Amino acid sequence: MSTVQFAGISKAFGGVAALHPTDLDIPQGEFLTLLGPSGSGKTTLLNICAGYLAPSAGRLVVGGRDITALPPRQRKMGMVFQNYALFPHMSVAENVAYGLTVRRLSRDEIARRVAEVLKMTQLEGYGERAIRELSGGQQQRVALARAMVIQPDILLMDEPLGALDRQLRKEVQFEIRRLHRASPRTTIYVTHDQEEALVMSDRIAVMRAGRIVQLGSGADLYERPVDTFVARFLGESNLLEGTVDAVLDGHATLGVPGFAQPLEGRAATGLRAGGAASALLRPEAVRAQAGGLQARVAERVYLGELIAVRLMLASGHELWSRRLANEWSGRDVVEIGWDASAISILPDAS
Amino acid sequence: MTGRLFLNAFVALTAAFLVLPILAIVPAAFSAQSFIRLPPDAWSLRWWGTFFNDVSWRVTLLASLKVAAFTTLISVVAGTAAALGIARSGPRARRLLTSLFLGPVVTPAIVLAVALYSMARATGLVGTTMALVIAHTMLALPFVVLNVGVSLDGLDRRLLLAAAGLGAGDFHIFRTVTLPLIAPGVVGGAVFAFVTSFDEVVLSIFLAGPTVKTLPVRIWEEIRLAYTPVVAVGATVMLVLALGAASANRLLSRK
Repeated sequence: MSTVQFAGISKAFGGVAALHPTDLDIPQGEFLTLLGPSGSGKTTLLNICAGYLAPSAGRLVVGGRDITALPPRQRKMGMVFQNYALFPHMSVAENVAYGLTVRRLSRDEIARRVAEVLKMTQLEGYGERAIRELSGGQQQRVALARAMVIQPDILLMDEPLGALDRQLRKEVQFEIRRLHRASPRTTIYVTHDQEEALVMSDRIAVMRAGRIVQLGSGADLYERPVDTFVARFLGESNLLEGTVDAVLDGHATLGVPGFAQPLEGRAATGLRAGGAASALLRPEAVRAQAGGLQARVAERVYLGELIAVRLMLASGHELWSRRLANEWSGRDVVEIGWDASAISILPDAS
Repeated sequence: MTGRLFLNAFVALTAAFLVLPILAIVPAAFSAQSFIRLPPDAWSLRWWGTFFNDVSWRVTLLASLKVAAFTTLISVVAGTAAALGIARSGPRARRLLTSLFLGPVVTPAIVLAVALYSMARATGLVGTTMALVIAHTMLALPFVVLNVGVSLDGLDRRLLLAAAGLGAGDFHIFRTVTLPLIAPGVVGGAVFAFVTSFDEVVLSIFLAGPTVKTLPVRIWEEIRLAYTPVVAVGATVMLVLALGAASANRLLSRK
């Protein structure tokens, strides 16, 4: 287990930058998620960490040691691939034991550690099975067991749950979280799924177009996104475009066409008076409020314990609200409002 | 309906056209007469006796097997290595190397034969096992390169990355991951190499000598002297071996 430091790491493919110079420090035992859409550079960063890609510039330091030039097999990292990359000609136990036989451990030691990790990943009794006999979820656990059995300094996971159905994905998320809490090991997890990121991570790095846009806990990112891209990527959001009137002491006012009063809220950095920006209002903050703004209910979507309502304002703006199902009565015209503290003023993502 | 009937008949005729000459030679080998006539008037195993009791036939059969075995061995090792190299190279080098390795297949056999004969004469190799093995390897190698190449195309590269990430070195990865997964291609290539060598005639006629001679060359020589059913026996032996190799391949690749 180790700290990981990316220092000015960048990667270009044939002159096109896949990853701009990036600095990222991951403390020992942290579960860090690289979250972003495809092409954002998250897998590139992961492959550089594993040693499958050489960075164009920069250094990778693990546990105080510069390993930029070290080949993958000397890195002591466990990788879980998208679609698992299990050896199809070996049994479950042989797959899991692969990293141990390479290290020439004794037969007994290998058997002991394989049994231990199969138990940990709830695969007891599956050791002799062929890979093709397993379900997707079981294959995913074999991949995890194979990566963990070598007791890697760092665990790397590249969209490991992408091939699973929704229900199973949820179970495995909590399973991975449980395993990580039980023995915290520095983990870098790549996904484009915000829910996965929120459930498992200590910190999340949101990536876009080869850069880390924001790094922080799930709550940081959700409550204080740095721009409209992060706001859209994590959670649902209402964004109202306008022009910044004034910025003062971490607060800003935004003039939004069609609103009589400017909207006031917490200001993200990078705003300047007169510039374009957006006001972020999370759907759960939009509630019914007597004497508030008049709005017409355009659509109701039943979500179980919640109901999502699409509201049309007189200004022509559209707001989504997500509240407990009993909050919105059957009326078509309602009066709505929100707490002043619910608004953030964010620069538009370029 | 009639269209379907016509199609079936056409397929049957084509199949007969392909298979009948092969099947015709087998009964001829069991003839009791001293000349080939179809169907034979009387049946016997006398020509099988002649074939296996005559040292000159036995020696050529053994020489054929020996040449085919060496050819197979060398083609499989060199061809697999070549296919691995081709799979690793960039798209342009890949096209170039592939056409280079497939060259001997498209070159007319007689051109190769003349070229090899002149070189074998210059080096005193005419009539040696080595000359035959070298010539046959030229023809057999492309089949191994092709077969192994197809298997390598189907190999998931991430398996190799996964093995490297688990600490395995290049040779260990080749032995434990690559080779087991491309084994069907290697076996298929080996069968092709063996059969290619075993029934090669043109190059062999040029390069064989009085002491070292393969079975097809011996059959060709015999047929010019006497058209006896022993020739059919030799041909049937070849047929059985070739079919045996092909079915072994089918059985192994089904696994």
